[in-house]
Amino acid sequence: MNMLRGKREVNTSLLVSLALHSAAIIAFQLALMQLISIVQWHHFAYMIISIAMLGFGASGTLLALARSSLLKRAHWLVPLLMSTSGLFMILAFHITRLEVFQFDVYLLFVERSQFPILLANYLVFFIPFFTGALSIGMLFIEHAKHIGTYYFSNLLGSGLGGLLVLLLLNLVFPQQLPALIGLLSVIAGLAAMGSKTFRLLHVAIATAALIAAGLFLVRPGQIPISQYKGLAQALNLPEAEIVHTQPGIHGMTEVVASPALRFAPALSLSYTGPLPVKKNIFVNGDFYGVIPNYQRGQDEHILDYTTQALPWAVSSPGRILLLNAGEGAPLAHVFSHKPQHVDAIIPNRDVVRLFRHQFAAATDSLFFYEHLDIHRREARSFLASARDKPYDLIVLPQQDAFGGTAGINALQENYGMTLEAFRLMWASLSDEGMISASTWMDYPARTSLKLLASLVETAREAGIGSPGDHIAAIRSWGTISFVLKKTPISPGEAERIRAFAGERFFDIVLMPGMKDHEREQYNMVEDKMFFDYVDRILSGDDAFFQDYGFMVRPATDNKPYFSQFLQLSNIGYLSEIFGSDQVAFLELGYLIVLVTLLQSLILALLFIIMPLLRLRKSHRGKGGTLLYFGALGIGYMFVEIILIQRFVLYFGLPVYALSAVISTMLIFSGAGSLLSGRLSALPRSPARVGLAITGLLLVYTFLLTPILQWTIASPLLVKIVLSLLLIGIPSFFKGMMFPLGIRYLSEYDKSQTPWAWGINGSVSVISTSLAMIIAVEAGFTAVMTLAVCFYALAATVFMGHRLFFPVPASPAG
Amino acid sequence: MLLIFLALPLVASSDATERDRQSMVRTQIRARGISDKATLEAMRNVPRHLYVPAAQRRFAYQDRPLPIGYGQTISQPYIVAFMTEIIGPEPQHKVLEIGTGSGYQAAVLAEIIDQVYTIEIIRPLGEQARRKLEAQYDNVHVKIADGYYGWEEQAPFDAIVVTAAAEYIPPPLVEQLKEGGRMIIPVGSPFQMQHLMLVEKKTGGEITTRSLMPVRFVPFERAE
Repeated sequence: MNMLRGKREVNTSLLVSLALHSAAIIAFQLALMQLISIVQWHHFAYMIISIAMLGFGASGTLLALARSSLLKRAHWLVPLLMSTSGLFMILAFHITRLEVFQFDVYLLFVERSQFPILLANYLVFFIPFFTGALSIGMLFIEHAKHIGTYYFSNLLGSGLGGLLVLLLLNLVFPQQLPALIGLLSVIAGLAAMGSKTFRLLHVAIATAALIAAGLFLVRPGQIPISQYKGLAQALNLPEAEIVHTQPGIHGMTEVVASPALRFAPALSLSYTGPLPVKKNIFVNGDFYGVIPNYQRGQDEHILDYTTQALPWAVSSPGRILLLNAGEGAPLAHVFSHKPQHVDAIIPNRDVVRLFRHQFAAATDSLFFYEHLDIHRREARSFLASARDKPYDLIVLPQQDAFGGTAGINALQENYGMTLEAFRLMWASLSDEGMISASTWMDYPARTSLKLLASLVETAREAGIGSPGDHIAAIRSWGTISFVLKKTPISPGEAERIRAFAGERFFDIVLMPGMKDHEREQYNMVEDKMFFDYVDRILSGDDAFFQDYGFMVRPATDNKPYFSQFLQLSNIGYLSEIFGSDQVAFLELGYLIVLVTLLQSLILALLFIIMPLLRLRKSHRGKGGTLLYFGALGIGYMFVEIILIQRFVLYFGLPVYALSAVISTMLIFSGAGSLLSGRLSALPRSPARVGLAITGLLLVYTFLLTPILQWTIASPLLVKIVLSLLLIGIPSFFKGMMFPLGIRYLSEYDKSQTPWAWGINGSVSVISTSLAMIIAVEAGFTAVMTLAVCFYALAATVFMGHRLFFPVPASPAG
Repeated sequence: MLLIFLALPLVASSDATERDRQSMVRTQIRARGISDKATLEAMRNVPRHLYVPAAQRRFAYQDRPLPIGYGQTISQPYIVAFMTEIIGPEPQHKVLEIGTGSGYQAAVLAEIIDQVYTIEIIRPLGEQARRKLEAQYDNVHVKIADGYYGWEEQAPFDAIVVTAAAEYIPPPLVEQLKEGGRMIIPVGSPFQMQHLMLVEKKTGGEITTRSLMPVRFVPFERAE
């Protein structure tokens, strides 16, 4: 099929190529996220990919600057760009495995010499996105009249690409993914090839891609994990070896054995026995948990010598719920106390598989124990449907990590630690039931205080006037554990806690009848104010939250960031106290997101402004183009992020829900785009659709969360149908806006269409970081409200089109 | 003549490191309150730049930790001084170090104490440190082994310096600490606000701990 002949018509093979290539680009993005998350922390993956994704913005800039020159060559350039993009998808990650591309994460903060290496990484990953986006942009502009159909193909392909990665993650190793994905773009390029021009070059690129893909599939090699990641450090130990490797949807699961690997977090200093050697589980190179040497009938566990054993000092709970148990050690600990029944929530299916198959014998078939039910879903959705089974004890997963996480998880939504989650836990307790939570002690105190604040608020909401009568807390040299009990802690229980703590050199932080000196009998804290903070939280002193330098108010579903403590307004104050170079080390994760936004913002502005050099004064309507496509880019991404958040919580299976939600949105948007071709290209079309979306989103702002809360415990089929409706309807209309705008613009001033593509691409990337920061600072409701405003703005541009696009539509060209 | 010219840069370089070292002690260590004479003298004597990788040598006397490979770091000079001072080192003491790493902390201890025992679990690091330490000192004993077990044959120790942070304190180390002895341990990784913990074994065996200044947060004064 010759592109030149059919360039103004809908070309089926080109549509298939576009879909394939779009699938490859989104799949590559997701695969890259996975790969870089294994090599470095996931924040760096996000930082690198956000720059690479600006290839979309850059492609629009180039198209705007050299539109006619590029379009003249579209017949051979588009397929060639697709194949080149595919070739670089295959090569990019493997290029960055070379020694010269390895940067030292630690030195990145202190040495300028690391920046060129980071920039080189940006550049290598930028190439496939830039060439890939350029080919798509050229197709859109070339076929602006049929943009609805071409955009449909693009969105449909993208939606399927997301699902493809989901499938591939279970089948191949992450480092093999780019080879398979890149080939899709190469095939797309070959299928789109209609001209003989540069055919030889094209064949050469395709052959190189095929050879490289074959090589990397057969010999994928090792992923060069940062020396600072847990897995790399474990492998430095004597006789360390990876005894099991399993790619999966939750990441790369690896099990390491070494005679020097032991597990006893903040072990009591009174313990004199041996520490058992245990295999460690790593997911994406990060420590996940251990494989316990469990034996049925065992009645003592090493965790009995940690503060985590506090609930068993209070009573002997029969029915226990273990939230996000994660791995075997907490489970083995619970079973050593002979409970009647245990429900364990473990969302990571790959880890469950590990315990049920490869390591079943090593753990004495722990995961098959008759009194144990494993639930492979998120805690929230389980709690919402489990209120008829009262528990004597609900154990939360240990928060934070040894030595703190430096805010690495700050922007990780955690719906299991919000006030709404605590409310559900409270409602699931038996009459004498209790909630137990532990965390590493951090300095300055953050996690421990937020945990206490959450427990106190939960008790108050449940109508308890004096939470101090219901809460006990003990502290070792490294950890602090809390118990919130439904009934007051009795003198007998307090005495048992006192005896337990004394035997293990633990101090009592909170307990009815506690004496002041008991707070620092064995472990002296550095900041004596810590106890004052604890008492102020317990007494309900709201001013404390205002005064304290960190955000330690309980998290809520609107701001589900339990591990986020940094308040932007306090950075100056913290810099004064700790020194400006130290603040980064307090809450690194959030700062990386801010840096990501800043660098994307600078580049995006550059990409948006550069085409203005070509679009001179004679080109009117530039303000309208900028406002409309800028508002669409931000609005679309904001809504996407909100819907992902809400539906991931709704289904409780993050990875599956995430992919399903994204794919549903893209496919419905694609359908909207396809049908947009039936609407007229007059300004009233985008104005009306824009108003419809604004109205719909306004309703969602108030009703979406309640609807999802009411139906969270419904049968899966009902939830799926409801989700298709709730995600599909706005997505369908949102999909119409971009093609309607492009069609209008192609009639109004064709030379601005590439700019519109660039604006949309650049703004979309910024919007992701921006939405995260707004959600952290002001909550998801604010993100949704802003999305409504941006769609209203887009509608306004076309309602007032005479103002924004002042001259009458000129003939195309 | 040629030899003199060739030797000049070395002399100059040696002078420069000497100056850097004196300045490091003055501005980073004494200014922050380290006053133990033996510790200050040891910090002045040990050529820190010889214990860091060649690529990091120019930063050797800067006020920060440096990577030495295998995910490990050589501590900030002030921290080495702080950890040395806090154990109250005396020449007749017997001290165990867990985590030789670069060998720098062991070298500083060896300047003050008659018997320093140090254990490194990562073989290449341990061998490298052993070569450097044995060339300079005859009172440092390096073992490449799992520090969990301590050095039972040489126990008990007056002090134990744990330079690598650990989630747990190995019971054998507590066992090998003399009654009245002190153990100092960093908590946290170099990426984060580390703090130090002092473990004291009282007469009668009771163990107490004390959280000390955060490693990365120190009162800072540029000049005396």
